Amino acid sequence: MSRLLPFVLIAAALAAWELVARSGLWSPLLFPSLAKIGYELGLFVAGSEGPAQAWISLHRALSGFGLAAAAGVLVGMLMGRSRLVAGLLDPLFSGTYAVPKLALFPIFIFVFGIGSLSKVALIFLECLYPIVIITSQGARSVNRVLLWSAQNMGASRAEVLRRVVIPATAPYIFAGFRVALPVALIVVIITEMVSSADGLGYVVVYALSSLKTDRMLAVVVVIALLGWLLDRALVALRNRAVYWEKLETYYV
Amino acid sequence: MWGLPHYILGPFEILGHFFTALGSEELYAHIGASLLRSVPGFLIGASLGIAFGLAAGVSRAFDRMLSPVIFLTYPVPKIVLLPLFMLWFGIGDLSKVLIIALACFYPTFINAYYGARSTPTILVWSGLNMGAGRLEIFRKVVLPSALPLIFAGLRVSLALSFIVMFAAEMINARSGLGHLIRVAENSLRFDLMYVSLVTIAILGYVGDSLLRRTRHRVLAWQEQPA
Repeated sequence: MSRLLPFVLIAAALAAWELVARSGLWSPLLFPSLAKIGYELGLFVAGSEGPAQAWISLHRALSGFGLAAAAGVLVGMLMGRSRLVAGLLDPLFSGTYAVPKLALFPIFIFVFGIGSLSKVALIFLECLYPIVIITSQGARSVNRVLLWSAQNMGASRAEVLRRVVIPATAPYIFAGFRVALPVALIVVIITEMVSSADGLGYVVVYALSSLKTDRMLAVVVVIALLGWLLDRALVALRNRAVYWEKLETYYV
Repeated sequence: MWGLPHYILGPFEILGHFFTALGSEELYAHIGASLLRSVPGFLIGASLGIAFGLAAGVSRAFDRMLSPVIFLTYPVPKIVLLPLFMLWFGIGDLSKVLIIALACFYPTFINAYYGARSTPTILVWSGLNMGAGRLEIFRKVVLPSALPLIFAGLRVSLALSFIVMFAAEMINARSGLGHLIRVAENSLRFDLMYVSLVTIAILGYVGDSLLRRTRHRVLAWQEQPA
């Protein structure tokens, strides 16, 4: 019975939705039935247009995220291991941390154009912060005893970095990735909703303005699944790469 | 100036425009409209997130029922629900407040949940041994040990509340800073664009500083990270 508990809430929510949809109290525009959403979902996934739009969004999100991951890990490691770099960059990152970078989007459109580049640049910027901050925390907190032991046993600086610092920081790097990946998806959807002619965010807005609520909800389901799958893939990757430490909280 | 494209303004020009705008009433109206959406959204979402997160961290039944759903839907960008919320709750402020609340709920839930769960068992046992009731244990042991993570969650939620507020206003609004930047963009008023940008940056920074100061006060007994 207790194994079924997780599904109680989901099943109740779905049942309530279907009940509301069939009650006839509200227009099917507000609450389309599950069957209609499922039908639209099938059309979207099986058609040639749907996967193409999903690929466009995914491509943008992963490009920005990938660039932010590469740059963020590098900068974060430097900030964590060098007092000079930390002193230089720490005020910059913590001072502008809470500033919504999204406000730069209109300017990015003018600088990088209205296509993918402005979106990728914004995703890069938004993802950079969590990755840099969490990586630098991890790199700073490497156990000193381990560093001393490695040095005592004659490890060179490069060896210490490769065999001690990087493995010790790896769980934090992945924690940063796990914060940043949903952010990448949020930003790609927002920017596509605000100004775009393609991608899943655009499809959502387009479906709404043509009053196809069932279609819109089907795309929302697609986006939800995409976010969930990306997260699962990242956790699987993390558990392979950092096999010596179990994921104890959500992030570390 | 300096052969830059006309949409890039120098820092002094931006500051000049910003101070000019500070003298007009219009900017304050937009700031007020934005804060009237983001602050209630943040407060509702964060307090519900903390309450449910602590409940799920303490009670197994709650944990079994809530956590899977929350963790499943956590990586989903909540902003996609904005069009749906607009259909349900109208295109006014209510749909925006609710979407901000929804976005703020998740980080606080997850952090409060792990905060409560990471309470050292030995402290709970000691409390029980010394005759503390369940409520007392919760208030004096679980809550204090969860607080650092709760504040970490609040910080993420606060930043998120500004992002979602701005996005919602850019997508559909008749007032607010996100609306202002759209209007400026469409009428090529680059000065207004930068005014909106500077204002939202200041708001974000001030909000974050206030939160950090509160944490410093509340967690005075704890070692403070930067």
